[in-house]
Amino acid sequence: MRVASVLGRRPVLKGAGLFVAGMSTRSAMSAPISGGHLKVAGAVGSASETLDPAHQSMATDYIRGHLFYDGLVSLDDRLNPRPALAEALDSDDLLTWHIRLRRNVRFHDGAVLTADDVVFSLLRHQDPGIGSQQYALARTMQSVRAVSPLMVEIVLQTPNSDFPAILGISNFAILKAGTRDFRTANGTGPFRCQEFAPGIRTVAVRNSEFWGEKPHLDSVELIAIPDEMARHNALMSGDVDLIATVNPRLVQMLEKAGFGIVESPVGTYTDLSVRLDQRYGHSPDFVEGIKFLLNREQIRQSVFLGFSRLGNDQPIPPESPYFNNQLPQRVYDPDKAQFLLKRSGFLGETIPLVCSPAALASVDIAVVLQYAASRIGQKMAVQRVPADGYWTQYWMKSSLGFGNINPRPAPSLTFEVGFASASPWNESRWHNPYFDRLLQEAKSTRDDAKKRQLYWDMQELVASGSGVCIPNFTNSLDAYAPHICGLRPSQAGQLMGYDFARSVWLSEKQGRKA
Amino acid sequence: MIVRIGSFRSRHDRAVVLIAFWLLLALLGPLCSSYDLGAIGSQPVFSGPSPAHLLGTDYLGRDTLARLLNGIRHTVLLCFASTVLSCSIGTFLGIAAVTARPWVEALTGRLADGFLSIPSLLFALLVIAVFGTSTTALIVTMGVIYTPGAYRTSRALAQRIARLDFVTVARARGESTTYIILQEILPNMAGPMITDVGLRFIYSVLLLSNLSFLGIGVQPPEVDLGSMVRENMLGMAYGSPAMIVPVIVIAVLTVGINLALDSSGGRR
Amino acid sequence: MNRHLVLLIGRRFLAAATSLVFVVVTVFAITNVLPGDATDALLGQGATPQAVAAMRHNLGLDRSVFVRFWFWLWGILHAEFGNSLLNGLSVADAIGPRLHNSLLLAGASAAVSVPVSLFLGVTSAIWKDTVYDRVVSILTLGMVSVPEFVIATIAVYVFAVRLHLLPALADVGSVHSLRQFLSAFFMPVASLALVTLAQMVRMTRAAMADTLSAPYIEMALLKGVGPIRLILVHAIPNAIGPIVNAVALSLSSLLGGVVVIEVVFTYPGISGLMVDAVSSRDVPTVQACALVFCVTYLFLTTFADIVTILSLPRGRKT
Repeated sequence: MRVASVLGRRPVLKGAGLFVAGMSTRSAMSAPISGGHLKVAGAVGSASETLDPAHQSMATDYIRGHLFYDGLVSLDDRLNPRPALAEALDSDDLLTWHIRLRRNVRFHDGAVLTADDVVFSLLRHQDPGIGSQQYALARTMQSVRAVSPLMVEIVLQTPNSDFPAILGISNFAILKAGTRDFRTANGTGPFRCQEFAPGIRTVAVRNSEFWGEKPHLDSVELIAIPDEMARHNALMSGDVDLIATVNPRLVQMLEKAGFGIVESPVGTYTDLSVRLDQRYGHSPDFVEGIKFLLNREQIRQSVFLGFSRLGNDQPIPPESPYFNNQLPQRVYDPDKAQFLLKRSGFLGETIPLVCSPAALASVDIAVVLQYAASRIGQKMAVQRVPADGYWTQYWMKSSLGFGNINPRPAPSLTFEVGFASASPWNESRWHNPYFDRLLQEAKSTRDDAKKRQLYWDMQELVASGSGVCIPNFTNSLDAYAPHICGLRPSQAGQLMGYDFARSVWLSEKQGRKA
Repeated sequence: MIVRIGSFRSRHDRAVVLIAFWLLLALLGPLCSSYDLGAIGSQPVFSGPSPAHLLGTDYLGRDTLARLLNGIRHTVLLCFASTVLSCSIGTFLGIAAVTARPWVEALTGRLADGFLSIPSLLFALLVIAVFGTSTTALIVTMGVIYTPGAYRTSRALAQRIARLDFVTVARARGESTTYIILQEILPNMAGPMITDVGLRFIYSVLLLSNLSFLGIGVQPPEVDLGSMVRENMLGMAYGSPAMIVPVIVIAVLTVGINLALDSSGGRR
Repeated sequence: MNRHLVLLIGRRFLAAATSLVFVVVTVFAITNVLPGDATDALLGQGATPQAVAAMRHNLGLDRSVFVRFWFWLWGILHAEFGNSLLNGLSVADAIGPRLHNSLLLAGASAAVSVPVSLFLGVTSAIWKDTVYDRVVSILTLGMVSVPEFVIATIAVYVFAVRLHLLPALADVGSVHSLRQFLSAFFMPVASLALVTLAQMVRMTRAAMADTLSAPYIEMALLKGVGPIRLILVHAIPNAIGPIVNAVALSLSSLLGGVVVIEVVFTYPGISGLMVDAVSSRDVPTVQACALVFCVTYLFLTTFADIVTILSLPRGRKT
């Protein structure tokens, strides 16, 4: 299998309305201009911000990663893997992968990229002492070795046709061999790190030696403004030029004030999971009853103000080429829910519902569900618990609790992490050997039609069997000042898949001034 | 009888009447709304006043008035309870520190200083970790957080009074400590202490919303006034009553109570 | 008499030291009781049991509580705050610039709020129950009763978004001139001053009013003491205890209790650092921040206590 066929083998997505709706027409008119300084504000940040790709876990970390580093593979706006530092990536058996590196790529300190750097960068994720976010995925690589200065050979433990997508995860960025000090970044990326003060600011300046298409901006300053109102105010007052994570409630105000909005259909979802191995979840009627009790359309309208897509209790979002569009959409049906909950024997009992500000919009979704339940005589006690420690203390531990799941670059990864029987992040403790078998099959096939059929079957299995209820997929919203050009929606995440700095430019007036 | 009716408008009773008014509103107010607290109507979010929703709708499209009445209930009851708790314990300890043996002062003083300098975020998280979330845990947490402050104020006041001539005279007369506390010290520190109580009440309103945000507080769909302001903060951009009205109610409630306390306090 | 005074003050300092030890032990205990540890924040989705164990070992979290406490204490005694569990960088380096920022903000706010509130408090006590007194009371109470995030956010909306007079972010990094300082600090300082004003004004007013109605003031008046002399010499010294206490309590919250202001203005101070560190269970950072808050607090209250003792009628004799 040659690189051209592996990278970019997916069918082109047709008629994706959201993309067009989100396109900035203003940006499309002017030709890119070089120069200028851009100040961008993300929504999360703290003193634990890092320049170590292995530790990146929040949106602003990913942005920093994309500024300073490159992966072997990059993911495009539709999550298709594209060659980056790897010029070619091929495998005959999907088990042993040969990677040919791009020539004459230089790190910011002037050193030339070699296979040793790649081996170092990938293998360090397997060291438990490093504490990589991708420890589990990294361990699926049985060996990583340099065959020649520009050739790397990776042997996997099991065949995986989505391996290129895995290499596109930004944690797997390539460092110079031996890097241990992360007070600054020494990558191959389009910007050099001029200043990095965790929790305060990051300043990036253009890397004139960059191997790829040179970025338009001279410099980028990245800060985090976690407070919603403060972030929007900073954009409107002109203190920053671009912000991520716009609250749907403020879109109207921003648009009226002349600011642009980019709406990206990302696969993020907030789900309610019912533990199948605990009291309530033992009853399939109860789980199904809850699924019919979720008023998905109301959640879309009232919680997300329309900036979301309906979910169908399976994790593949509608814009994915593998989305099963034949699966009937579950709708709010209080009568059916009442019937099922009554049959489960829990109607009338007070069911605890654990939510937290940590899981986006989960408190609001819980309130909507609670009210719907009260209408059919099902009492629910909403327990809002602290965001502090939520993911370790409450998530996946409550009988009915909320999670917030970020998209993964390929369906096999989404299924593997959240739904495979052996996964520690199987939220509802759903065990289905048949599903596991389909997953293995999907990973080891290169026949796209077959893969599609397998994914369709798996979506059906999850939707009907698992205890995970997915009412909506959220859309990511970014807002920008009128002089910012070139922003596009991306399925890879907010701010063009965290990678806006490579393509954005300032309009003529602003570009000259700065 | 006539004297009683005549004195109804005295300064002291003004505070009593005002507190009684808020307590009544807290207890009966929520019964006045026809909307369910969690009901999301067909109105858009942050809509303005309309015949159906007198104060418009909140960030999810729920009736603001229904939520406001519920918020008044929690804020008034919980904050009254915790303020009374913290101020009575604080005052008691403060006076004890001055009148009892020196080790009482040493012990309470260290504990108070210790508690005051432990960040209350840590303390609140500890309470959640150990006791979980409940109304009792909430009132006790709020009480404990403000007791050391009340203690310091009352101790500073009592220290001064205990050394004034009339206390020395009373001691010399051979009056009991209880008599001295009740007859000499307490009445003479009442003025500044009542001001302190009023301030603590204001702070407890804000603390309640912070604790709710952390998760110790009132659980959804129920709400307190401070949390209502917080959750509807984005409504500011649209001048939504859902954000403005609770701010005004908090101000009227706390300023009113403080002014009433002001005029009722002081020397007899 | 002088020896007595020294002894008394010495005892206050000793007491403060005891409180410090109490706080250090308590904070350490709390961070240990709180569920979860730094590996949660570090590993995220990589948190398999094996990785957690290795990480805990790396960070020294597998050692007993007492051993860790001892190492930390040993470090403190040698002015070593240790390294952050999250990024391995020195805690002192992380705190240093933020503490500087926080002190700057707290200092500026105190410089504004203390004189203003003493003035307002004393004058409204003198003119108690007049229109002036009422207006001061209602305004100061009104300001403190409105949640601070509302005051600060509205200020930003009006001055930065609508009028474009001031920046929305307090960007301390780019302050090079007095004008820049004023424009960056005006709103945070004003918001903080408004919030802290009330307690000081109210307590000053109450204490002064109380003193002014005391018999000896009437006596002094009858003796023909002038009004300014009456206030400065007879009234203030007697009311100073509760006033200094209120000032100390208000000021101590200016360092550690300003998370909201830091958040709204994206101001890199030490309160926010503490909150981050608590949520990621970065114990060395939490400890260091708590220590800084505690020392500040104890310094201020000990100062207040000493002033109270000195001001007591014949207090110096006991």
